[in-house]
Amino acid sequence: MKPMTDSSRCSDLLLTVLVTVLAALFPLRAYSQQDVWSLPLYKETVTVNAVTYGSAFARDTYLSQSRYEGWAVGFEDDRWKGYNPDKLFNVGRTHSSILFSPMKNRLGGGSTLQLAGTVYHGWLWHAVENDRCDLLVGPACMMNLGVLYDRQNSNNPVNVEGFVAAGVCVDNTFRFRLFYYPMALQASFYMPLAGVGFAPDYDLPYWMVFRYNDYGKFIHFITPFNNVALSQQVALVVPVRGDRFRIGYTLDFNKNRLGGHSTRLLNGMFSIGYAMRFETKKWNR
Amino acid sequence: MSTRFLNKVSLLLAVVGLLLLPVSCAWNEEEVDREFSNTPQGNFMALWTIMDEHYCFFDLKKEVLGVDWNEVKKRYSESVSDRMSSKALFEVLCNMIGELRDGHVNLVSSYDFGRNWSWKTDYPANYSQDLRNSYLGKDYVIGGNGYYYTIFDDNIGYLAVESFESIIASGRLGMMFNNMSLCNGLIIDIRDNGGGNVMASEFLASHFTEKKVTVSYSCYKNGPGHNDFSKLYRNELSPAKEDLRWTKPVVVLVNRGCFSTANDFAYTMKALDNVTLMGDTTGGGGGLPMSSELPNGWVVRFSSAPTYDAEMNHVEFGVEPDIRLDDMTDEEISRGVDSYIESARNYINGKLINP
Repeated sequence: MKPMTDSSRCSDLLLTVLVTVLAALFPLRAYSQQDVWSLPLYKETVTVNAVTYGSAFARDTYLSQSRYEGWAVGFEDDRWKGYNPDKLFNVGRTHSSILFSPMKNRLGGGSTLQLAGTVYHGWLWHAVENDRCDLLVGPACMMNLGVLYDRQNSNNPVNVEGFVAAGVCVDNTFRFRLFYYPMALQASFYMPLAGVGFAPDYDLPYWMVFRYNDYGKFIHFITPFNNVALSQQVALVVPVRGDRFRIGYTLDFNKNRLGGHSTRLLNGMFSIGYAMRFETKKWNR
Repeated sequence: MSTRFLNKVSLLLAVVGLLLLPVSCAWNEEEVDREFSNTPQGNFMALWTIMDEHYCFFDLKKEVLGVDWNEVKKRYSESVSDRMSSKALFEVLCNMIGELRDGHVNLVSSYDFGRNWSWKTDYPANYSQDLRNSYLGKDYVIGGNGYYYTIFDDNIGYLAVESFESIIASGRLGMMFNNMSLCNGLIIDIRDNGGGNVMASEFLASHFTEKKVTVSYSCYKNGPGHNDFSKLYRNELSPAKEDLRWTKPVVVLVNRGCFSTANDFAYTMKALDNVTLMGDTTGGGGGLPMSSELPNGWVVRFSSAPTYDAEMNHVEFGVEPDIRLDDMTDEEISRGVDSYIESARNYINGKLINP
């Protein structure tokens, strides 16, 4: 047996302190799989508020023939609300996001700013529900508005486009264990199927729209044939102590050909958010 | 269905969700739309195509100037090679769009602003800023950015509008009308005014009418064909609300330097009862410009929404004056006489004698 030296005694002490601190920070806790992530019950709401950072891509031939790319920053709010369990669609899922991106063309010249906002809401039916997974599907209504500001264009610097549409929503949560550590993998998407899109008619200047009150040339009926949009999200819910954090990636894709010009937007955003669960109580005076 | 089976379906969906992400990206990279390469040939084709699909005066330019855009492509494409320098390419492209002789057609690079200003430079100037300053004297009033006025000895008001970049403030315009309330007439000198904000010219013009007047018609390109245009929209000028309005004789002085919004002001004022347009034909610029971009980042500006005057005449090549004046001579200028201003004064004074 080797004699204990001062240095080895010091190392042991440090190790002991480290283990103690780690144990305090991340206490071993027995999670059931439902603990990690479960859908809200009646009158309950589960929210995830997340900051997002990622990349944006835009090409809008109303403004320019060039493609623009850049970093993007934003905020995302996802919420699940428990409706009356007797009803068919007994969970509501709302995804709201806002994004800002300064973009440049491929040569690093030019400059386009993007500001986009989305509010999607789905009424969901429990297709699969058990200890391991929740699969929800249902109809959705979707609102999307985006502004592109091309700082090089003097006379038509801005294009505002958006849509209000009915579509589908799928939301899937799969609970599993990684090295005995419980987690939940979420995958969801929204897709518009039919609605109304807003885009200028070919070279219609915006001032003419307002001046002549001819908004008819601004409104288009949209289907997946002229407006393909998809909002996908993959996220991992990780419990840390008593809290739930969610790390995710959201991809919003929109390609349309409205009014004779094409617009293509692709925003891929990493997110980190915090999940909370509330119960709605009636306020009695 | 067993729970185990459903779990597998659920896991599969989660994995499919993951897989969909790169699939969407790849889908996006499929270039459904045409995109030009950043080479001299690619930039040349991009510029030619942008103009071909969006420029609004091809038929007019063919009729008046004999410009055949397909022939232009054939002729200039021979001058473009992938080994040429950026400056050489810029020159070729500027020459190509210069064929259209349109002041609203420009190519902007980091080192130059490509233009064809022959609509102005090929004609007599009929304007001298020194002379205008001497007529304004020292005690003129600055009514706003680009708006200067004074009252001549023969009791005629004189307003020089250098630019329509900014709108004259309503209060300042009211003050001007108050100052000139005893004047017999007003000369509005817009010579060498290169344009600016349409709202600025409309706002000023709205103070010279008592009734709603149809002043022009506009449409816009609604497709890539040379004749793809929307329906015509009527432009009406309404009297300025809650402001003083000028009902005495007005002479608007114009020359070849009046372009774009100044051109708009000329045909708008020409449609009014108490206004006489005097001088030379205006420079034109009757198409509302839009912009686009080449693969190398150069910005191209072009006319995309044509305007017609109240009689449905094109105003792209300028507005004819009601009274055409002889060109200003060097001898007159050296004597300090602006024959345009003098003719306007004589006209207003003559109108007082023979209304």
